[in-house]
Amino acid sequence: MAATADLAFEDLDDDEREAVRTLLFRLADDEYVTAERYTEWQVRAPTLESDLALANIAQDELGHARLWYDLLEDFGSEERELVWERPPEAWHHATLAELPYEEGGWADAVLRSYLYDVAEDLRLAAVEGSTYTRLRDRVETVENEEDYHLEHAQNWLERLVDADAGHDRVQAALDRLFPYALTLFAPADPEVEARIDELGLRDRTLSELRRDWLDRVVPYLESLGLDVPDPGDTDLPSAVGRDGEHTDHWNDLHEEFTRTYRDLDRQGTVRIMPDPDDT
Amino acid sequence: MSSDTAADATYCTHTDYTEGDAATDLPATGEGSDGLAADVWEALHDVDDPEMPVSIVDLGLIYGVDVDESGDVRVDMTLTYTGCPARDMLTETVEERVAAVDGVESVDLRMVWAPDWSIEMVTEDGREQLREFGLSI
Repeated sequence: MAATADLAFEDLDDDEREAVRTLLFRLADDEYVTAERYTEWQVRAPTLESDLALANIAQDELGHARLWYDLLEDFGSEERELVWERPPEAWHHATLAELPYEEGGWADAVLRSYLYDVAEDLRLAAVEGSTYTRLRDRVETVENEEDYHLEHAQNWLERLVDADAGHDRVQAALDRLFPYALTLFAPADPEVEARIDELGLRDRTLSELRRDWLDRVVPYLESLGLDVPDPGDTDLPSAVGRDGEHTDHWNDLHEEFTRTYRDLDRQGTVRIMPDPDDT
Repeated sequence: MSSDTAADATYCTHTDYTEGDAATDLPATGEGSDGLAADVWEALHDVDDPEMPVSIVDLGLIYGVDVDESGDVRVDMTLTYTGCPARDMLTETVEERVAAVDGVESVDLRMVWAPDWSIEMVTEDGREQLREFGLSI
């Protein structure tokens, strides 16, 4: 399909809609859950400037998640259903996003942000020319807000590896996070992935994106004197997230961020006027 | 409970996402519009940004207003920032103010994110007001 095609929700059959949904859920959930974790740093980062930076980055990612959830609303759901009422097993973020930080693990936060933001950068570039118009129209806005995230992460990584203790902490974080970072490129369902590519929703396949990511991340981390695990010898963790399989940490996090919603007993739709179709 | 609610959520009125007359010249200010469209622009002009004393029209957030003869109004609007915490507040205000304009039957407010908002979208009047507010622009 030509990259200039303009696909709208109404043009798609059920299989094609599933492809769009899969892609959108992945974009949205990665951003949302990453932001949930970032917020834990808001008052715990090593400098006040970093408190602010992480808070701001989290705000950006929540904003981006919202743009993608908006598009999922076209499929008939509302924001509350997509976020607070969706059971944990129906979330599709990579498990990298949901892992708790190691205690006091600023190196973990910084490295994770770097690993994720490079993937994000490549993934957004791959949908700049998406055939799904409403997605394509939002990419530039998101990209413009992403630049400084990488800058922030790299700036900190470079400072941390400068001292032995910092270097060792980044290395430990890398050993722990690397297999989880590879889940960013794990397919949800290979058939659906193929449909995403055939429809031209993105112009790089997941395995191409994985290769592009390794081409950027590995030399950079090595230039910092870090030992990067061999991706060929690295097994994916048992839970990759994309298929709804998550670590136990996710249940805890989900429980936590939906608690207030449930405490307020907001399970039901509040109807303030009769449904026009029923009157 | 909640999971069932999500799974059973089938009720959704038909929404038409076909592209209409998107504004081509930005910033759009409604200059030269008349009749109901001019009244709608005036109402929009009275809505200020929640953080700065400048109208959302002068800030360049309104990308287009489309009015048909039965009084159905479509407003295309963006925000300066995707993570804007005032999004609902602002969109609700816009919907209320436009709906209150004499002759308006319905309001269809659409969030648009292309083209990306930038400082270039601020009108001359807007720049003047922002300078008075203390921003260098």
